[in-house]
Amino acid sequence: MSATLIGQRLTRVDGRLKVMGQATYAAEFARPKLAYGVLVQSTIANGRVTKIDISTAKSAPGVIAILTRENAPQFKPYPDDLTKKGAPGEDRVPLQDAEIHYAGQHLGIVVAESFEQAVHATSLVRVTYQPQPPVVMLDDERVQKNAIWPERFIGRESLQVKRGDINAALATAAHKIDVVYSTPVENHNPIETYSTTAEWEAPDRLLIHEATRGIKQLQRIIANVFGLPRENVHIICPFIGGAFGSKGFQWSHTVLAAAAAKLVQRPVKLTFTRPQMFDSAGQRARTEQRFSIGADKNGKLMALRHATTTHCSPVSEYTEPCGNMSRMLYSCPNVEVSHRLVRLNLTTPCPMRAPGEAPGVFALESALDELANETGLDPVEFRLRNYADIDEYENRPWSSKKLRECYERGAKKFDWSKRTRKAGSLRGADGSQIGFGMATAIYPAGQQKAGATAILNKDGTVTVRSATHEIGTGTYTAMSQFAADTLGIPIEKIRFELGDSQFPEAPNNGGSWLTSSVAPAVMGACRELKKKVVDLGESWPNDPAQLANLLARSGQEQIQAEFISEPNKEEREKFSFFSYGAVFVEVHVDPLGQVRVKRVILILPNTTWRCTRTHRNLTSISSTS
Amino acid sequence: MNPFSYSRVADPGEAVHTLAGKPQGKFLGGGTNLIDLMKMGVETPNELVDINRLPLTQIEELPDKGVRIGALARNSDVAEHELIKTRYPVLSLALLSGASPQLRNMATVGGNLLQRTRCYYFYDPAFPACNKRKPGSGCGALDGYNRIHAILGQSDQCIATHPSDMCVALAALDAVVRVRGPKGEREISFGNFHRLPGNTPERDTNLAPDELIVSVDLPAISFAARSHYLKVRDRASYAFALVSVAAALDLDSNKVKAARVALGGVAHKPWRAHKVETEINGKSADENTFRAAAEAELAAAKGYKYNSFKIELAKRAIVCALSTVAAMA
Ligand SMILES: Cc1cc2nc3c(=O)[nH]c(=O)nc-3n(C[C@H](O)[C@H](O)[C@H](O)COP(=O)(O)OP(=O)(O)OC[C@H]3O[C@@H](n4cnc5c(N)ncnc54)[C@H](O)[C@@H]3O)c2cc1C
Repeated sequence: MSATLIGQRLTRVDGRLKVMGQATYAAEFARPKLAYGVLVQSTIANGRVTKIDISTAKSAPGVIAILTRENAPQFKPYPDDLTKKGAPGEDRVPLQDAEIHYAGQHLGIVVAESFEQAVHATSLVRVTYQPQPPVVMLDDERVQKNAIWPERFIGRESLQVKRGDINAALATAAHKIDVVYSTPVENHNPIETYSTTAEWEAPDRLLIHEATRGIKQLQRIIANVFGLPRENVHIICPFIGGAFGSKGFQWSHTVLAAAAAKLVQRPVKLTFTRPQMFDSAGQRARTEQRFSIGADKNGKLMALRHATTTHCSPVSEYTEPCGNMSRMLYSCPNVEVSHRLVRLNLTTPCPMRAPGEAPGVFALESALDELANETGLDPVEFRLRNYADIDEYENRPWSSKKLRECYERGAKKFDWSKRTRKAGSLRGADGSQIGFGMATAIYPAGQQKAGATAILNKDGTVTVRSATHEIGTGTYTAMSQFAADTLGIPIEKIRFELGDSQFPEAPNNGGSWLTSSVAPAVMGACRELKKKVVDLGESWPNDPAQLANLLARSGQEQIQAEFISEPNKEEREKFSFFSYGAVFVEVHVDPLGQVRVKRVILILPNTTWRCTRTHRNLTSISSTS
Repeated sequence: MNPFSYSRVADPGEAVHTLAGKPQGKFLGGGTNLIDLMKMGVETPNELVDINRLPLTQIEELPDKGVRIGALARNSDVAEHELIKTRYPVLSLALLSGASPQLRNMATVGGNLLQRTRCYYFYDPAFPACNKRKPGSGCGALDGYNRIHAILGQSDQCIATHPSDMCVALAALDAVVRVRGPKGEREISFGNFHRLPGNTPERDTNLAPDELIVSVDLPAISFAARSHYLKVRDRASYAFALVSVAAALDLDSNKVKAARVALGGVAHKPWRAHKVETEINGKSADENTFRAAAEAELAAAKGYKYNSFKIELAKRAIVCALSTVAAMA
C-alpha cells in the first residue's frame, strides 16, 4: 500500500457541509405530518406512582395523545447481553410498572402538534406518588449491606483481582501510603442533545432517525422490544453532534418515541431539553477510591491495593471500572483490585469519556505521586523503577510499549529536572503555590469485528459503506483516506457513507476502537474490489478516469465487493494491547484556592497520524498557559 | 411554559400604563433570566410587556459629573463605554466577569437589577419547599445542599444569594435607581433597592410590581477610577460568583482617606461592607489593616454544612481586592 494520503493535511470531506449548515443531524430531518413528543418525568427519586391525571393536559391546545402506563403496549424485554451482566444501559423497559427509581425517570410522553404545545401540556400532567426516602449518597448506611461485588466489567474483564499476598507485603513495606480519592458525578453535555424521530412506515416497519453511536445495537434493541425482525427496523444517523460517552447505550426515549408514533399514527420527534441531559440518559457515577500502596527502601512497589466504591441505579449494574489499569500499569508482585457497587436513587450511570480508566488512572497516578514523595524519589524515576516490562496481570508481552521514551521526551521538553522539587516550596509573585506533576496515560487499544462494502460506480467513483458513526472526530475523512490510498485514486473519487443500519455491521463507536476496527474493513473491501476487477481480466488502472471505461467494458452496472475484518485472535491472545503516553503539568493555586493549570505537555509515542491537521488540532492545547 | 399575552410598547408612559394594576404581568427586557424562569415554571406571568424599544439606552454624563445609565442599556455597551471604563472601572470589570458575551449583549441594566437567585431549590419547582417561590413552604436549602448560599444577613426563612456581579459594583458606587410608576417617578438609593429576606423572602426588592426602572445614576466619585472587581468562582469563566468583591480606595500617600467596598455571593442582596470601610479609614493601606477589617466584617457571618468555606474565602478576597487597588498607580 502506498501511503500517499495518510499523514497529510487534508481538509475534512464533510467540512463544507458542516460550515454551511447542511450536515443533517438527528433532530433536523423533516418528516411529513411530524408530531412532537415531550417526556413526562418523575419529580421524586424513590417510591411509586399512584396516579397520573391527564384530564387537563389532554384538552390543552394541540395535544394529540398522551402515552403513560395506562395505555402503553406491552414491551418485550431488551436483549440480555446489552442490558444485563453489568452492561451500560437500563434493563427495565419503560411504562410497565409503577416503580420510581430516580428523579427524572420517564413516566410518559405527551404528543402535540408543536413542541411548545407539548411542553405546556406536559406541565399540566398531574402525577401523584407514594414517596419513599431516596438514597443518594455513597456512604448511606441503608445501602451498605446490600452492596454488590460485581464479578466482571460488562461480562469481560474481572473486577475483583488478587495477586500475591498484599497484607504481608504492606506490613513489611519501607514506605507506604493510605489515601482516598473521590471523583464527582459527571454529565455528558455535547452540543447536540439526544434526539429521535420514529416513524412507522408499515405496521411492522419502523424508521428511526436518532443521534446514536450504536446503530446496529439500537436496531437490535428496538426490534426486540417491538417483536420485529431486525431488518424491519431502519436506523439512520449520518452525523452526531458530540457524545462524550452518551448516545451509545439503551435508554427509554427511543422506545417511547416509537410507541407514541404508533399511538398517533404519525412520525413523532422527541428531542431532549438541556436539563434532560442530566437525568434522562446516563452519567458517570461518583467514585471513591482507596489506595494502600507500599514500596521497599529502593522505591520498588511491593503492594498495591486499589479499592473502588461506586454506584449503580436500581435498574442497572454497570460498574465504573476504576481499578482495571492498576492491575498491570506498573510492575508489582502483590496486587489487589476490587470494585464495590451500591444502589442509589440516581440516574443510571454509564461510561463517560472513557469509562473508569479516566477517574481510575487519575487516582492511581495521584497516589503514586504521593508515594514517590514519601520515598524521596523523583516521580519519573519512581515510575521507571516500577516499569512493567510485561503485562503482569495477563502474564504476556506488550504488543508495543514506548512509555519509557514518552517519559524521557516529556521530561526534556518540560525541563523537568530543573524544576523546584520540594512540594510546597515554590511561590509566585501573587502568593500562588506552584507545583509540578506528571502522570502516565494509558488506554486499551481495542479492535472489534467490522464490515464494509466498496462499490465501483458507472462514473468511475467508488462508494464505500459501513454502519459506523461520525461523532465529529473525522470518520468520513479518515475512511475516505484509507479507501483512496488502498485503491490508489484521489480522495475526491471516494464517497464514504455511514450511519445507516442497512450498511455492513460496524461496532458501537467507543473504546477508541473506531479507526482500528473499521479501517481494516474499508481497506479490505477496497482490496476485494480491486481483486474483482482483476478477475475480470482487467488490471486496476492507475488513471482513475479509466475506471468508468473499465466498468462500461465489463457490461455491469456496478462492481461490488465486501469484507469483514476481525481482530487477529492469535495476536490478541499472545500480546497485551495498550496505548501509552506521559503528561507533565505546572499548576498554580492562588491564595483564594483558584487552581490554574499553566502548562501541560502531553507526549504520545511517535506514530503515523492519519491526518496531521486533526493531530495538530488535538495537540495544540499543549502550549496554552 | 404557561401561555401568556405579549405586547410591545414605545415609551415609558405607555409601558407603565399597560401594566398598571396587573400584578401578574411583567416587563420583558433582554429576557435572559425571565424566559429561563418561565421555561422552568418558576415565573408564570400571564402578560409580557416588551420594553426593548423604549428610548432608555443612553449612557450620559450628568451635570454633577455623575453618569446616567438607561435601564435598557445592554450590559456589553455599559461595560465597554469610555465613561464607565475610565471613571468606574469596577463596574466595567464586574459586568465583563458576568455570564457570556452573547448573554451580555442581550441583558439590560434593568433586568440585571431584577435577576433572581440561582438557589437550586428556588430554580427547580420539583422541590416542594421554597419560601421565595411559595411563601410558607419552607426552605429546602437550609438543610440541603447549600454550597452557593448566604453567610451574611440571611434568615431562617431563606438563605439565597443575589447572583448579580453588576449590582455589587453599583452597591459600592452608591448608585441611585430611578423608577417610574403609575403615580410618577421616584428614586431609590441602591442600599434600599434590594432587600434582606427576613420573613418576606418572596420580595427581592422594594420596587413595586407596576414600577418601571428607567435609569441607574452613578454619583461622581473621583477615586472610583482607582477600583477593582474580584470574582472567585468554580470555573475561570461563565460561572456565578462564590464570593466577589468590588473595591475602590482613596489614598493619601499610603493612608486610606476613603473606601468603598461591597461583597457579592454572600447575601440576599449585594452586601455593602460598611465595617470594612470604617475599619480601614485613616489607616495605612496594608495587608494587616485589610485583614483586620475583613475579620470585623465577617464576624457576624454564619455558615452552613456546605458553604462555611465562604467565610474565610470572603476574608481573603477582601484582602486580595483591596491590596490590588492599593497597588494601583
Ligand atoms: C447562563 C447564564 C449565566 C449567567 N451568568 C451571570 C454571571 O456570571 N453574573 C451575573 O451577574 N449574571 C449572570 N447571568 C444573569 C444575567 O446577568 C441576567 O440574566 C441579565 O442581567 C438579566 O437581564 P435581562 O435584560 O435579560 O432581564 P429579563 O430576563 O428580561 O428580566 C429580568 C427581570 O427584570 C424585569 N425587568 C427587566 N427590565 C425591567 C425594567 N426596566 N423595569 C422593571 N422591571 C424590569 C423583568 O420583568 C424580569 O422580572 C447569567 C445568565 C445566564 C442565563
